[in-house]
Amino acid sequence: MKELSQTGKKNRPALFAGIGVVALLALFPLVAPAPYFLSMLYMVFLYVVLAESWNIIGGFAGYLSFGHVAFFGLGAYTTAFLMNKLALSPVATILSSIPGGFVAALVAFVIGYPCLRLRGPYFAVVTMCFAFVVHMVMQNIDLFGGVEGLWLPAMKQPIHVIRGIFYELMLALMILVILFVRWMEGSKLGKGLVTIREDEEVAQTLGIHTPRIKALAFVLSAFFPGVAGGLHAYYLTYISPENVFDVMVSILIVLMTLFGGGGSWLGALIGAVSLSLVNEFLTTFVGAEIARIIYGMLFIGVILFMPNGIMEFFRRRRRVRLAAEEVSES
Amino acid sequence: MFEIILLQSLVSGVLMGGIYALLGVGFSLTWGVMRVINIAHAGFGVLAAYIAYSLLEKTGLDPLLSLLISLPSFFFGGMILHRGLIRPITKARETIVASMVLTFGLAIVVENVMLWIWKADPRVLKPSYSGTAVFIGEVGLPIAQLVGFGLAAVGILLLYLFLNHTHTGKAVQATWQEKEGAALMGINLQKVSEIAFGLAIAAAGMGGVAMAMMYTFDPPVHNFWLIYMFLVVIVGGVGSILGTALAGLILGVITGLCMAFIPYQWINVLTFGLLIVVLLVRPQGLFKTGV
Repeated sequence: MKELSQTGKKNRPALFAGIGVVALLALFPLVAPAPYFLSMLYMVFLYVVLAESWNIIGGFAGYLSFGHVAFFGLGAYTTAFLMNKLALSPVATILSSIPGGFVAALVAFVIGYPCLRLRGPYFAVVTMCFAFVVHMVMQNIDLFGGVEGLWLPAMKQPIHVIRGIFYELMLALMILVILFVRWMEGSKLGKGLVTIREDEEVAQTLGIHTPRIKALAFVLSAFFPGVAGGLHAYYLTYISPENVFDVMVSILIVLMTLFGGGGSWLGALIGAVSLSLVNEFLTTFVGAEIARIIYGMLFIGVILFMPNGIMEFFRRRRRVRLAAEEVSES
Repeated sequence: MFEIILLQSLVSGVLMGGIYALLGVGFSLTWGVMRVINIAHAGFGVLAAYIAYSLLEKTGLDPLLSLLISLPSFFFGGMILHRGLIRPITKARETIVASMVLTFGLAIVVENVMLWIWKADPRVLKPSYSGTAVFIGEVGLPIAQLVGFGLAAVGILLLYLFLNHTHTGKAVQATWQEKEGAALMGINLQKVSEIAFGLAIAAAGMGGVAMAMMYTFDPPVHNFWLIYMFLVVIVGGVGSILGTALAGLILGVITGLCMAFIPYQWINVLTFGLLIVVLLVRPQGLFKTGV
C-alpha cells in the first residue's frame, strides 16, 4: 500500500496531464469542429478500446487471439437485432450496447474454457478460425439479415449532434477501458496473467489457478469490444457481416498493441493512437490498398526491429545513450 | 442414380483432396523444420495462380508450362525471403509466434499487391482443356481437375523423394529431428532452412495453380486456403509429408461427400468447425501418439 501511494505521488504530473487531456477531448465538440474531425477521433477511440481489450488476453497473458473482431461483430449484431426486434428508442439503443458486451462475454466464456487449453500457435489458429465461422454463420442466417445485414434507423438529429454524441460515448468507453487496464496492470489478476505469459508451469506451481484467470481475462477482453461493437453499429446505422467481421480489424489491433508494446496499458494506448492516425492519413492520401501494403510492411518491421514494442525500443535506446554518456564522462 | 451421385462426389473429393495436400505439405515443412508458421503461404499460392492466369491470357502459355518458369523463381524468391525476413526471427524466444505475426504482415502485403495489380474480381484459370471430361462409366472426371491432381501427386512425390533419398533432403530431416545434433554433424543449418523454405514456397505456387484450375480465386481467398492448410497439417501431424497427404485426401472426401447433401455455403462452416474440434480434441494430429 505504501509503495502504491509513493508511486502515485511520483506520477502526479502525469495524472494531471491525463485529466487535462481527457477534459480537452471531452470539451472538443463544443468548439463545433467539422464532423470529419469528430468521426476521425471517434475511430481513434474505437481502436484504443479494441487494442486495450486485446491487450488483456494478448499482451498480458500472451495468448494471441487472431479473431477478436468476432466479439466486436457479435456486440454490433446484438444491438442491431435488439433495436430492430424491440423498436428501441435512441437512448435504449445506446444502452443495448451493454447486452452486446454481455453476449460477447458469454460467447468468450463458452469458447474460452476449451480453447485456452491450447497454447501458442494453436490458440491463434483456433481463434482465427472461430472468427471465420461466426462470420460465415451470420452470412447464412436470415434472421440476422444474411449477407445483406441489418439497418438501424438513425437518430433524428443534425449530423454534428449525432457525431458529437457518439464521440462522447466512445470517449467515455475508452477512458473506462484504459482505467480498467491500468488498474489491472498493478492488480493480482494482471500479475498472474504476466506470470502465465512468462511461464505457465511456474504460474501453476505458484498456486495461480491458471484456467480460471485465463478465462476471466478472455471474457473481459471480449466484453469491451462487444460494447464498442454495439455503439459502432448504431454509429454506422448499417451493419453487414463484411463490415463488422472484417479480418483486417483482428489483425490491426494485434499490430497496434504489439507496436506500442503489449502487457502495458500505455503501450496499447500509444500503439492504437499512433497507428490509427497513420491509418487515417494513409487511407485518405494513398488509397486503401497502398495503405494496407504499408501497414503490412510496418507489421514486418515491428517484429524484425522492435519485437518488444516501440516503448521498449526507445527506452532501450535511451539506456544505451545514457550508458554511452557515462562512459564518455568518466 | 443415388450411387452415381455418391461416387461422383467421392471422386471429386479425392481429386480435391490431393490439392489440399499439396498446399499443405510446404506449410508442414516450414512448421516442422524451422518452427515457422507461414501465414502468407496460401498467399503465394494465389500469387502463382495470378501469374499463370496472366501468362495464359497474354501469351496463351499453358499453366503447366508457365510453372516451369514460376516454380524456380518461387524457389529462389523463397530463399531470399528466408534470408531477409525469417532468419532474423529464428533467434527469438518464441519463434513460432513471432513468425506468425511477421508473416501475417507479409500476407497483407501479398494480398494487397495482388488487389492492386489484378483488382478484386474473381478469376478462373481456363486452359484449353478446361470444360472437357473423361467418363468412366457414368462418373465424369474433368480434365482440369485430373491435371490439378496429377500436379499434386507429382509435387508431393518429388518432395517425398527429395526428403528421403537425397543428401540435402536427409539433412533437412535431420535438422528437424535434432537441431544441435545436425549442426554438430556439419550440417549448415542456415543453408538447409533456406532450401526448405524455398521448396515450401515453390510447393505453395504449384498448389495454387492446381487449385485455380478448379475454383475461382480472388486475392482474399488465401484466408480460406489457409484454414484448409491448417486443417490438413494439424490432422496429418506437423512435419509429416505422408500424414499431410493422407489428411488432404480425407478432408477432400469429407467435403466432397458433404457437398452432395448440404448446401454449398455451409461447407466452409463445417470444415472450419472441424478444425476447431480437431484442435480441441487432438492437437497433435490423428496419426501421432503423444505430443
